[in-house]
Amino acid sequence: MPYANQPSIHIRELSQENVKFHIEDTDLSVANSVRRIMIAETPTMAIDWVQFEANSTVLSDEFIAHRIGMIPLTSDDVVDGMKYTRECECEDFCRQCSVEFELHVQCKDSETYHVTSANLRSSDARVVPVTSKGQDDDAPEYDRQEDILIIKLRKGQELKLRAYAKKGFGKEHAKWNPTAGVAFEYDPDNSLRHTLYPKPEEWPKSEYSELVEEDQHEAPYSYENKPNKFYFNVEASGALKPENIVLMGIAGLKKKLSDLLTQLTTEMHGEMLPAN
Amino acid sequence: MNAPAPFESFILFDEEKKIIIEPETKVPNAAMITINKEDHTLGNMIRCQLLKDPHVLFSGYKQTHPLEHKIVIRVQTTPEYTPAEAMKTALKDLLVEVRSMEHRFKEALEDYKDTKKQE
Ligand SMILES: [Zn+2]
Repeated sequence: MPYANQPSIHIRELSQENVKFHIEDTDLSVANSVRRIMIAETPTMAIDWVQFEANSTVLSDEFIAHRIGMIPLTSDDVVDGMKYTRECECEDFCRQCSVEFELHVQCKDSETYHVTSANLRSSDARVVPVTSKGQDDDAPEYDRQEDILIIKLRKGQELKLRAYAKKGFGKEHAKWNPTAGVAFEYDPDNSLRHTLYPKPEEWPKSEYSELVEEDQHEAPYSYENKPNKFYFNVEASGALKPENIVLMGIAGLKKKLSDLLTQLTTEMHGEMLPAN
Repeated sequence: MNAPAPFESFILFDEEKKIIIEPETKVPNAAMITINKEDHTLGNMIRCQLLKDPHVLFSGYKQTHPLEHKIVIRVQTTPEYTPAEAMKTALKDLLVEVRSMEHRFKEALEDYKDTKKQE
């Protein structure tokens, strides 16, 4: 490990929705990979298969299926142990690779009925729509949130379906992306001039600015430096806790690198064997 | 209708190899290393790490085409070293860094929770 960086991390803020932290003494490329992997390759659970038994609503089956797929499901406790359906030995779905959901509502009143994420009945209490998490608890771990509207029904309309949530990640479909946004920033006072402000005084200062003078809007140009400190703010969709997004992202990066290293090693040894 | 299947970008097909090393014919100690089903996430990181090695004379990467899910890294080294060996060092170093990052984040979490408790 002759040329490895020794990064350090400090957490500024941690809540149910987001985590603010900065990484020091690493490269822009590594910090950016952490950002990219959290967004695109950190697995969560999301509904990916829906079967309709009755749909007399105003929306088509595929429209509703799409809306249900986008509902974030709490995945913290199960994703690590879940298999990808495509890698599972089972025929279609099983408990090792999926979570079953059911929904059956009929509107019998003259008043409009709101079908929401709360109407989804999960077969696994650990995997539920984020808005339903812990609502029966005395001291809920999550703040009470408004349920997510799926569709509105008028008198006589019915919706009945069965669905399976599967493990996946953002690269395949954005519904598996555990982040609602990742803020990524370095060089808050623009000392590297990676961007050029024609009038620096017209731009608001960064929240991480280290300038003390009120009338100073930019740090002096330091042409010998390179980015070294990276400020993150990871906002969670609710599928994973913010700190878990970061941890699982880094773990994903680690796996990618070690897998590639083994493949490279076998490839190198293969070359050394005499050709037949 | 004719959209490529979304899994094409990360599933390695049976006939594909994860990594292919092709030595350059006209330049000594140079190789084109193709990594299938990877993107800028690994590409840029490896490129940058290779440049820290004083035995590496050149390192660059490209994603050949947005619909071709592979990256190509070109590495040229000094005579005492092969591009594949340089690549191995770079990957090992990155792995060390990411491991320590994971460790440091867990420590930072503990620190944050401790200070919150004291408040
Ligand atoms: Zn299964």
